[in-house]
Amino acid sequence: MSGSQETRLKVAFTGKGGSGKSSIAGTFARLLARTDQPVLALDSDPLPGMPYALGIPVEDEPTPDDVVVEGPAGGHRWVLRPGLDAASFIDRYATICPDGVRYLQFGNLWGHISSLQRAQYAWSQVVRELDPDAWNLVGDLPGGTRQAMFGWAKYADTVLIVVEPTVKSMHVGRRLRNLADADWAPEHLAVVANKIADPDDVRRIEERVGLPVIGVVPADPAVLTADRAAGAPLDVAGGPFVESLHALVDSVQASYAGTR
Amino acid sequence: MVIVADLEAGIGTLTRLEDESVDATVVVVEPTPRSIDIAARAIAVADERKQGRVIVAANKVADADDERRLQAAFPDHSLLIVPADPVIDRADRDGLSPVDVDPISPAVSAIESLAEVLLT
Ligand SMILES: Nc1ncnc2c1ncn2[C@@H]1O[C@H](COP(=O)(O)OP(=O)(O)OP(=O)(O)O)[C@@H](O)[C@H]1O
Ligand SMILES: [Mg+2]
Repeated sequence: MSGSQETRLKVAFTGKGGSGKSSIAGTFARLLARTDQPVLALDSDPLPGMPYALGIPVEDEPTPDDVVVEGPAGGHRWVLRPGLDAASFIDRYATICPDGVRYLQFGNLWGHISSLQRAQYAWSQVVRELDPDAWNLVGDLPGGTRQAMFGWAKYADTVLIVVEPTVKSMHVGRRLRNLADADWAPEHLAVVANKIADPDDVRRIEERVGLPVIGVVPADPAVLTADRAAGAPLDVAGGPFVESLHALVDSVQASYAGTR
Repeated sequence: MVIVADLEAGIGTLTRLEDESVDATVVVVEPTPRSIDIAARAIAVADERKQGRVIVAANKVADADDERRLQAAFPDHSLLIVPADPVIDRADRDGLSPVDVDPISPAVSAIESLAEVLLT
């Protein structure tokens, strides 16, 4: 299933803070990798949550300051240093995770702000210039609407809004629907309903957000257990959460097959 | 007059606040490694910037083990424990204030004692 002719998935997860983006994105990335696909996990949250779901430690300084040099006047402020391109950057700095996922994080908020800035420029350039046929991309955005509205998920042709059945989460989901009008509007924009205990909540979410629900993820105490133990949901327990993520990978793969 | 500010998640706003802007900083932490990590950095920033008294509120504490782990992570602070309480989920789901849903629930009572601590 890993020929170079087929389409690679380019998926980003967004939604309100705490809605479950990282748990879902990290698990999705690993399950996709288990289908023999090359997967690059893209984390643009300066308070990263994805490493926990992937089952790797958080690194304080994922990339050294000297991966970039000052860019040319009128261009990007920082650019990858000579000799370093997207492919070699991924090779050197993307963390190897369980199931073979590679994980690309930018800087932490607690480093020097200038380090964070350099790391963000490096990350963005790598994402812009990587070979789209080489990788399936699974992205995790920080909570809220800001990054998504500023085009940070441009790499994705499928943007999935993670919504839990709370008024605030549905409200943020509804605002994110405006992504459909952006210049970089993704081909597919849909909702993943998370922490579902009552099937009626799925209908409420679909109505309030006004987008189709492509996946339903049950409320599963095993996710909390994993969280407290700093383990990946996939390593700590099977159960409803993991099962629903298998189904989500299938649905997203099917949505690609359907449109191309 | 009392002003209560709810800051954005993480430490971004805290790092941009002028020194000595507030009388007290309440750092809210959950019993997960990620939350503990971020709270530790928030406490460091609040101390460094002299943002008043630092109070650590331990939220979603489900059992004695959660409490033990949190206390071990913050040995220099006495924790204000807010128990995991379905009333918060219910309020959240319906867009109501927990105080209106159940004013004597365990979580609401704990938050009441936080207010008392702040006013003393
Ligand atoms: N299906 C689920 N069932 C039960 N708990 C869940 C589920 N999904 C996520 N959670 C819990 O919800 C909390 C938030 O999850 P997560 O960190 O994945 O969200 P997030 O949207 O990435 O948050 P942030 O905006 O802070 O990055 C965690 O405590 C996690 O264990
Ligand atoms: Mg997250």
